[in-house]
Amino acid sequence: MEVPNLYKGNYKLLIIVPLLLVAISLFYIPQIKKGVDFKGGTLVTMQTAEGVDAAALSQALAEKGYPVSSVKSLQNPKGYEVEVEIERDDSLTRAEGLKTSFFEKIDEVSRYESDVQTTNQSAEAIAKYAEGRQEVDGYADELFAIALLQKNASRHQSTNDLKNAVSATYRMILDGYSEKLSATLSELVPYESASFNEVSASLSEKFLEKAMNVVIYSTILVSIAVFLIFRTAVPSLAVLVGAACDVIIAMGAMGLFGIPLTLASFAALLMLVGFSLDTDVLLTMRVIKRREGTPRERAYDAMKTGATMSMALLVSFICLFILASLTHINTYYEISAVAIAGLLADLVATWLLNAVIVLYYLENGGSTGEAQKPFLSSIFSG
Amino acid sequence: MISKEELFQGARAREVVAIFAFTLIACAAMALDKAHGVPIYIVSLLIVGAAISFLKKDNVRIAGLLAIVLLSLFSIGFNGVKFGIDFSGGVRIPVLLEKPVDSTTMEEMVSTIKTRAASFGLTEVKVRPIGDSEIYVELPQSNPQLVKDVENLLSQQGVYLGVVDGKVAVKGDDIYSGNIVRVQSQYLRGADWGVSFSVTQAGAQRFATVAKGKANYPLYMFLDRPTNAIIVINDSLLAPSTKTVVPLSKSRALEIARSAMRLEGDDMPVYLESELSRNFSIAPDENKTKAIVQSGSPLIPQLRAAGFVVVEKSKEDMALDFSFSAESSVSDAVVSWKAAGLLSAPRLVASVTEGIPSFSYSITGPAQGDSAQERAKDALRKEKELESLLKGGALPVQINLGSKTVVPAPLGEEFLRLSLIGMAFALLVVSLVVALRYRHLQIILPMICISMAEIIIMMAVLGSFTIDLSAMAGMLAAIGVSVDAQIIVTDELLKKDEDVKKKLDKAFGIITTSVLIAVIAMLPLMLLSGLVEVIGFATATVLGPLLGLFISRPAYGAIVERLF
Repeated sequence: MEVPNLYKGNYKLLIIVPLLLVAISLFYIPQIKKGVDFKGGTLVTMQTAEGVDAAALSQALAEKGYPVSSVKSLQNPKGYEVEVEIERDDSLTRAEGLKTSFFEKIDEVSRYESDVQTTNQSAEAIAKYAEGRQEVDGYADELFAIALLQKNASRHQSTNDLKNAVSATYRMILDGYSEKLSATLSELVPYESASFNEVSASLSEKFLEKAMNVVIYSTILVSIAVFLIFRTAVPSLAVLVGAACDVIIAMGAMGLFGIPLTLASFAALLMLVGFSLDTDVLLTMRVIKRREGTPRERAYDAMKTGATMSMALLVSFICLFILASLTHINTYYEISAVAIAGLLADLVATWLLNAVIVLYYLENGGSTGEAQKPFLSSIFSG
Repeated sequence: MISKEELFQGARAREVVAIFAFTLIACAAMALDKAHGVPIYIVSLLIVGAAISFLKKDNVRIAGLLAIVLLSLFSIGFNGVKFGIDFSGGVRIPVLLEKPVDSTTMEEMVSTIKTRAASFGLTEVKVRPIGDSEIYVELPQSNPQLVKDVENLLSQQGVYLGVVDGKVAVKGDDIYSGNIVRVQSQYLRGADWGVSFSVTQAGAQRFATVAKGKANYPLYMFLDRPTNAIIVINDSLLAPSTKTVVPLSKSRALEIARSAMRLEGDDMPVYLESELSRNFSIAPDENKTKAIVQSGSPLIPQLRAAGFVVVEKSKEDMALDFSFSAESSVSDAVVSWKAAGLLSAPRLVASVTEGIPSFSYSITGPAQGDSAQERAKDALRKEKELESLLKGGALPVQINLGSKTVVPAPLGEEFLRLSLIGMAFALLVVSLVVALRYRHLQIILPMICISMAEIIIMMAVLGSFTIDLSAMAGMLAAIGVSVDAQIIVTDELLKKDEDVKKKLDKAFGIITTSVLIAVIAMLPLMLLSGLVEVIGFATATVLGPLLGLFISRPAYGAIVERLF
């Protein structure tokens, strides 16, 4: 497995490869599909005896008022697995919002209602109650309208009655939606069993918000850690650029191969940051903080170690990918596909980009930063 | 190579003997105290890990790894490995809280959901908090009706019912939910805690009529009282409790229990198991169709045969808690009986039993505990319980149901089988890669053994909590991660110059740095996000490198440094 030393000739040209890949990836990134987790909607997984015509099913569902974002039909040991992703229903989103606003307000209104009694019908209390009641009645009426019921919120005597009516109506809207959907589906597809995975609007928004927070925190923490460890600007930046390049190429691959952005693939991307930095740190430490041989030899040496590491990781994720194609478990599929793409990208990002930056820096007057003891290592090793 | 002599000497060292003795004690503790198996395992893991990190001796490193593998195998054997519903089959319904809550509120919410589920006979429902803004409700089977029941239970409030002497005195609908508040200490008049509430006009009228002349009677407060049911109890439940000052005779206890279950129009007859097994003469009539009974009761087949719908309850739920006083027999009461939905039974004070309607009421009571702090805590807990009861079991924060996951049991088992095969296969292929690169058995064997050890440890640690799909994926990934650092160590050692110790130091320097960064990159996902769907994965990817750094890499270094 002897590979010639890449860095012998004019190594600066190597940088073209990662730059080209990043450019292509930037083009594909906008095409990444958001999975149900981040977009909201309903994912129905059905087990059927025969495969279905995806296009026909998609059209038939759209005609019945269910906009479909994707239909997949996969063969598995027990027959076929049909996956239908239906877009978020607007009226459901609205109903959820109404329910939330209603319950946020209702306790306050209930307090006003009881004040009316305890203050012996004082005009002030009555006015306050009427005002609050008008607001919650508004929410309730709109919710009743979605459920195709009469708008009669004001006819519910007490807030307690109104509350019961609103809970029941909301439940009815939800049940009605999934019942109608499963009835429609069973007309179109003769399925043996089906599971429904619903992600409501508030849930997907929450996922997205949390995911963004995680990205921000991780980026900040990792950057701080890298700067603390290397304490010199260029190598630190090189490490971070390598990791960013890796993630960008992996995301480009997601767009190109249609790997959806879900919680699982999102977690895999974060894991890639760790993997990618693993090799970046190996390279940078070996090249900058050592003095045996020339920097180019040290870089080549590090590459041998790093490539073996990437290989070991790659094969374990290939196993996971094979497992995913046998079981059709989406979590496995998304994690392994992203990891494989990212590990391949890491080979390019680390050895053709990060290495080039570090070597150029060293050969043009950068300091080797003396072989100081790496951060924290004195605590953990003998 | 390690010589026999060195091995012998190393094994006899005091530290090593101590580690193994400790391990044996910990294993014995796990076997004997099964209830605390998991904490014992985790704590002993940390202790051995600390010993490895601080003693910094080669024999301790190797012995420590062996000890931890042993502990993990024992933990897998005794504590078992818990699999999520992805592998065991079932339904999971995530409950999302509108806003993050503190740990006491979280506990309160979990116990409210559990109580309500139990009062519907859904005892198999597992409820566990996830982070600070999510709760998982899991059912071991994917029966659509059961799922629907649980969803209804979560999305609707319970029905509160207050009964005095067999008549409904307060209904949940009578109470203004916005006005259920804790009584401030200056108005408590000697009691330790209090909750006040106000009722509607109709409610005030009803209470006045029903409670008239019933001073000192208990107000039986039910949440989701079962309807159309009979209840069959084991005689032992009536045995005198040590809590009561005056011994309670069995017949008097039964009398109190029966009176607590009285309700105009829907009495819940109480039967003794001993009575029924002597002479089984009951049959469901038109409005008594359910039979509530302790699970495992010998009478279940007979009840089923007689045509009852049997609702099985755990022993804890069936237990009765009496309050009994010598002075006035009307105030004798069952204060809690979860199986019947009875959660509290305050006594009526004379002033509310004069027949005059009143809009506000308060319930007060004493707190228990040895210190003032404990009493305050107990008072707060009681107030919260009562508040939640009066609100019909309403949760303190708004909730939304998340996306439900359904996995049929056979499919789950198949997933598990394939995943385990996949893991073994991954180990094999990774070994092949390592073998191709190094071609020396002395290097390859320790590497593979240590990877296997790491998988065993991860399986035991993650399995102490729950292994779900994402955790399984993380474990599979960890196989690759675990050899990575060993590759760094080996390559460093294979270099010609310098002495072995220095080379090891350098290798550990790189490993420490990269583990640190990998963990930092993953920590926000694991700790801050509360994105449960992938927390298993995040945990596995953090745990893998950490285990490696503290436990297996030092051992690997200790083994291979002797080869060079």
